[in-house]
Amino acid sequence: MNSPQSSSSSASNPLANVLSRESLFRLLPLVIVLIAALAVGSRSENFLTQQNMINVLLQSASLALMAMGMTVVLITGGIDLSIPSLMAFSGILGAMVLRDGGDPLVAGLVMLATGAAVGFINGFAVAYLRMIPFVVTLSMLAILSGAAVSVTNARSIGLEPGSPFISGVSAPVLGIPLPILIMFAVMLVLEVLLRSSLFGRWLFAVGTNLRAALVAGVPSRRVIALAYVASGLLAGAAAVVTTALQGAAGPTFGREGVVLDVVSSAVLGGVSIYGGVGGAINAVVGAILITLITNSMNLLNVSYFLTLVIKGIVIIAVVALTTQRKG
Amino acid sequence: MSQPFLQMRNIRKRFGAVEALKGVTLEAHAGEALALIGANGAGKSTLMNVLGGVYAPDEGDILLGGQTARLHSPLEAERSGIAFVHQEMAMLPTMSVADNLFISHFPTQMGRIKRTEVLDACRAALQRLGCTFDPRVRVGDLSPGDQQMVEIARAIMTDPKIIIFDEPTSSLTSREKQRLFDVIGALKRAGTVIIYISHFLDEAFALCERAVVLRNGETVGGGMMGDLTYARVVELMIGAQNASADREQQTRQPGAVALQVEGLRREGVLRDLRFSLHKGEVVGLWGLLGSGRSELLRSLVGLDPIDGGMLRIAVNGELRALPPGEARRWMGIVTENRRDDGLLLPMPVKTNMSIANLPELIGRIYPFVDGRREASVSQTYVERLKIKIADLRQPVRTLSGGNQQKVIVGRWLQKAPLVYLMDEPTRGLDVGAKAEIRAIISELAEAGAALLVVSSDIDEIMSISDRYLVLNRGRLVAEFPRGASKNELMAAAAGVGT
Ligand SMILES: Nc1ncnc2c1ncn2[C@@H]1O[C@H](COP(=O)(O)OP(=O)(O)OP(=O)(O)O)[C@@H](O)[C@H]1O
Ligand SMILES: [Mg+2]
Repeated sequence: MNSPQSSSSSASNPLANVLSRESLFRLLPLVIVLIAALAVGSRSENFLTQQNMINVLLQSASLALMAMGMTVVLITGGIDLSIPSLMAFSGILGAMVLRDGGDPLVAGLVMLATGAAVGFINGFAVAYLRMIPFVVTLSMLAILSGAAVSVTNARSIGLEPGSPFISGVSAPVLGIPLPILIMFAVMLVLEVLLRSSLFGRWLFAVGTNLRAALVAGVPSRRVIALAYVASGLLAGAAAVVTTALQGAAGPTFGREGVVLDVVSSAVLGGVSIYGGVGGAINAVVGAILITLITNSMNLLNVSYFLTLVIKGIVIIAVVALTTQRKG
Repeated sequence: MSQPFLQMRNIRKRFGAVEALKGVTLEAHAGEALALIGANGAGKSTLMNVLGGVYAPDEGDILLGGQTARLHSPLEAERSGIAFVHQEMAMLPTMSVADNLFISHFPTQMGRIKRTEVLDACRAALQRLGCTFDPRVRVGDLSPGDQQMVEIARAIMTDPKIIIFDEPTSSLTSREKQRLFDVIGALKRAGTVIIYISHFLDEAFALCERAVVLRNGETVGGGMMGDLTYARVVELMIGAQNASADREQQTRQPGAVALQVEGLRREGVLRDLRFSLHKGEVVGLWGLLGSGRSELLRSLVGLDPIDGGMLRIAVNGELRALPPGEARRWMGIVTENRRDDGLLLPMPVKTNMSIANLPELIGRIYPFVDGRREASVSQTYVERLKIKIADLRQPVRTLSGGNQQKVIVGRWLQKAPLVYLMDEPTRGLDVGAKAEIRAIISELAEAGAALLVVSSDIDEIMSISDRYLVLNRGRLVAEFPRGASKNELMAAAAGVGT
């Protein structure tokens, strides 16, 4: 059975081994962080309780939605820095609708539509005007942060306690708070879309080699623009969740630490900042890990600013690890 | 005879389930050129990567001048006097020629690069190859042929004892080729060992003293060039199977117009081009390197910008005017450089073959690709083109050069567009595969496609074309029917008599 023909069938196994070894390696930083977080966290009594676990997932929901949006853009080889400020801004617009006695459903749709609309502007600028993603989305971040402060006079907008928006979004279904279910549902849908839809396939092609994708007839501009729309829409979804969970919306919701969290979730989960590699599950796992780190820092009374320092170091370490692997 | 300077003994190398080298033995003497011959995927590049320190062999020894050599990295190989001109160019396109030539060993003085010394050394090295361009220009701005010359200059600059050439001529003009051959002659006289890989057997016969033939990772024969014949080498390469001869060319009746090009122009590159392609015909686009033939193909699909002109393409039997960016939907293009704008290197073979055809592979639910059909369709073309792979999920980067080229051709066969644009479609293919691609080109025309083919090999162009268009400095200077002679084509391309 050593003829070259028969090798094709027996080849799949060792090849699969190699593949899984590689993906295992990508999970390595994740495992290290998880162990570290658990080690730190377990020194506090509250850390391993079921309630805290639910809390961690609940706190992860908004971050995970944003990280999934970031992942879609990262796969194209771009970056969307405007996500957190877009989340804050959409939340504010929705909260204003609620404050003026608007319907909760309308408020939710306003948040999603704002996200998608701003995402479209980003996408249009990057794909059709061929501007650099970093510049476009950094400018958008500035615009949205400024706009958020000026429409609110730098104050957050509180929802009335018992508002139907809050109860509608955060209500438990089968004992699990709705935001957690939203997070996992979006993850599943997005993962399937990325792996086996036309858009998903095109997205990876564009991120792997833009020129080769063009030559192969991939409608690259449309695909790139759509990636930013998806990212904006997910920022809008994060706004819905955050507004309901916080019972408020405000300009500080998108502050600098959040953009760091969003990028680190994606990177920590194994999404490549060079494009062409990643998935929704990576983003969610990364977001939960980042939340775990934040959470354990809180339990240990580490200051917000020191937490930033630690997270920054973690990102650099992970990128260094994965880059070395690449070269 | 003297003791061989280089001895590779019983080299084995396995990648996962694929045993690329199954105990290969090779010897080469100082001052001689050794031809390393074999079909696509035979293991030539892998063997040379072992010698060049890129891959560590699983088994076997390498001796240099009778001593076991330590070659654990390309740098160690370089220090042991081994230089490697790779099959796939590996340069830094945004950096200057000088930077590329000196990247691993800049001469410095207290940390500062000695600029004038570097430039002088570069000019000297380029001059040996008869190149006239300035070492300060960016490598990315050079033609593929000049880029290849830079790569060769980098190899000879270190004064190595062994130089490996892995298909060095596939992007050279005939004049550049001649200069390379002169340099190889000089190197041989200076006692250098040359290992020469090429699918152009005439080059091997002209340049080399001895040959080693590989098949499926094994040494199957070789000997002094004088004792071998072309037919014998081909038989060793592909086994006792018949080397499929080019079949008799049938005269085809071209059909309706498939693509009409009107006034296509680009400042300094393409000048007011007008021509049409008919269904069921193969048009050979002939011209010297730099005449604008690749640029023409690229602008037809919107890959290069144009300053004016229009395309009309037959959509449902009616000619419709479209800008190149949209006309692309009806055209397939095999580009000149498969790594830059052809392949998605880290992605599976399957994805690379289906990427142009995905909308046709949608399953029952709209945006979702039917993975099983995708695999089975891709498998069909893998078999049709005899692409040597271990698994459809194998990253295309791990295929041999020739097999990567076949993947691109397979991609367009799968998509079956109305118009095929092919820029050097047989680049890097072995003799058997070249003949197969030529046969496929004929079949496509017979099935009603229109084909515009570029090749620097005049015999190849002449064996497939129904009609010729000749370019000279961006201008269409002549059109010939099938019966045109080689001299007519050559003269027209050189601008004689126009
Ligand atoms: N990194 C790798 N991983 C898996 N398989 C590989 C890898 N590199 C080479 N191979 C396999 O080894 C075999 C020999 O490849 P090699 O590149 O040496 O062929 P070659 O003789 O140079 O062919 P060509 O004429 O097409 O360049 C091929 O089947 C190829 O798929
Ligand atoms: Mg090769």
